[in-house]
Amino acid sequence: MLDLVINHRSYLMMRTPYQRTVNIWATIALLLQVLITPNFAVAQEEVASALRRYKDREVSTGYYEEYEALPGRQRSPISVPSFSSSLRRGVLPLSRTAARVRIRTRLVDSHQGIKFYSVLRCEYCHVEQTKDIHTVRANLTCRQCHGREPISGIQFAFSPMNPIRRHAYVCAKCHEGASVSFATYVVHEPAAGSLTAKMDFPILYYSYWFIFLLLVGTLAFFIPHTFLVGVRELIGKVKKPKRDNERHDEGDDEQEDIELSDKPDDRRDDDRDDKQDDDIKRDDPGKG
Amino acid sequence: MTPEKANAMTTARIKRFSSVDRLYHLFLMLTFLIQSATGFSRLFFTTSWGKQLGNVFGGYDTSLTIHKWVGVFMMIGFVIHTIHLLTRVQWRNFPQSVFGPDSLVPNFKDAQNLWQRLRWFFGLGSPPKFDRWTYWEKFDYWAVYWGLPLLAVTGLMIMYPMVTSRLLPGWALNIAVLLHRAEAVLATSYIFIIHFFIGHLRPTSFPMNEAMFAGSIPLDEALEERPDWVARLSQEGPLELVNSKPPAPWYRVVYFVFGYAALACGVYLLINGIIHSGAVRLH
Repeated sequence: MLDLVINHRSYLMMRTPYQRTVNIWATIALLLQVLITPNFAVAQEEVASALRRYKDREVSTGYYEEYEALPGRQRSPISVPSFSSSLRRGVLPLSRTAARVRIRTRLVDSHQGIKFYSVLRCEYCHVEQTKDIHTVRANLTCRQCHGREPISGIQFAFSPMNPIRRHAYVCAKCHEGASVSFATYVVHEPAAGSLTAKMDFPILYYSYWFIFLLLVGTLAFFIPHTFLVGVRELIGKVKKPKRDNERHDEGDDEQEDIELSDKPDDRRDDDRDDKQDDDIKRDDPGKG
Repeated sequence: MTPEKANAMTTARIKRFSSVDRLYHLFLMLTFLIQSATGFSRLFFTTSWGKQLGNVFGGYDTSLTIHKWVGVFMMIGFVIHTIHLLTRVQWRNFPQSVFGPDSLVPNFKDAQNLWQRLRWFFGLGSPPKFDRWTYWEKFDYWAVYWGLPLLAVTGLMIMYPMVTSRLLPGWALNIAVLLHRAEAVLATSYIFIIHFFIGHLRPTSFPMNEAMFAGSIPLDEALEERPDWVARLSQEGPLELVNSKPPAPWYRVVYFVFGYAALACGVYLLINGIIHSGAVRLH
């Protein structure tokens, strides 16, 4: 019995040439896989050890909530508009397959196949993307966020720009504590009044038109209004003596008012005589 | 103007604004001008004028610090004003006091007045008889009253983006930046064009409408534009009760200088803003 077990063990330890070839081929396949698998994105190294990363902290719940991607927990109750994943470009919407090809959001190298890419500058094609606050005011260059070549599409699994890690890999470089929700800030926002904005970022579009029409409407009403006040009062000032007469002589509305204000005036006159205040009396329109 | 009238102008006056109201206005003037100047320096920072303006406040970053602090002061002022406002409502006769003529709440008479005044512009009728507050004064008040909280809320959102993105999605910051800028442009253009014109250039108030500084207006001025108010006051009791002292000469000098300094600041910002408006977008 014992012999049988030993024999069996020695049989297992012996390797046939066939089994060796399998191992060799498996090793080659693994090496090939390592070679063709795209590089991992360059992460912001804010941890002490690249190997251990957060391991010594992970038991404490919630301590790293702002740094970790917790899509379910950190997303705010209001959903994010489909800005980046919009399939609509131009007049007609693209089919999903066509969009996958035409919109390079899932490619390892989103600029794959572009002629003379190496000699082009980013702003040569991305003109609108150079006008936002980050570029104009914070003086950021494209590379500071989008990284070195190849610039992957934002939906590419290992892209630092992928929404599942964008907050930690990109935003948190400057905005300490950036969360998933924070990373939904649209850096390259469409022109707020445009039809692109209406499709991609409707709330921005409607906010813009609300405040714009309020601005234009207020000024369009009050500037002519105020100007007319000025003109009309100037005419009134020039014709001042005539207008004083008009107050008393013509106009039914005026007459009514004078009658109304006469009654209290009589009462007031009695009071006032004691208090020797003649100025008000003289100025009264009811006196004629 | 006859000597009699000149005499009447200096003696008979009706009180229009309490000292607290004038203090609010003074506070708002100072803070608003600082906010406009620092805000414009940030808005126009791509232009050489914007850079110069920013240098007055210590540069691009320091002007933002000033902008934030003064903004916080404005918010505190707004809260104090609102609490003060609630204590001033006559709660005993609640609906009448709020919708009555002494209140700044718009009512149907304002719409009538507006319509009558529009007709008067084109010589189609007599000018409307205003009560204590005219419709444009009410508009002025409520424009600030809703504009300030909007600027405050959007400003706080931009000040604390991390906290904001916890409560709201991050793209709410896009909306906040847009609304803050557009509302600021609306507020500054309204104040520097329309409010300044009404306060200074309008023929009846030229060279300066002193009511907000002196606190009282001459009786003949009130009779000219607000006869309904004077009639109401005289029905309530003798006008002597509301008679108030004219402002002291030194005080007039002070507020004339101050008012014109503020006017100059505003017009300077307005003109340069218009000149450089090509460099900025509303969004």
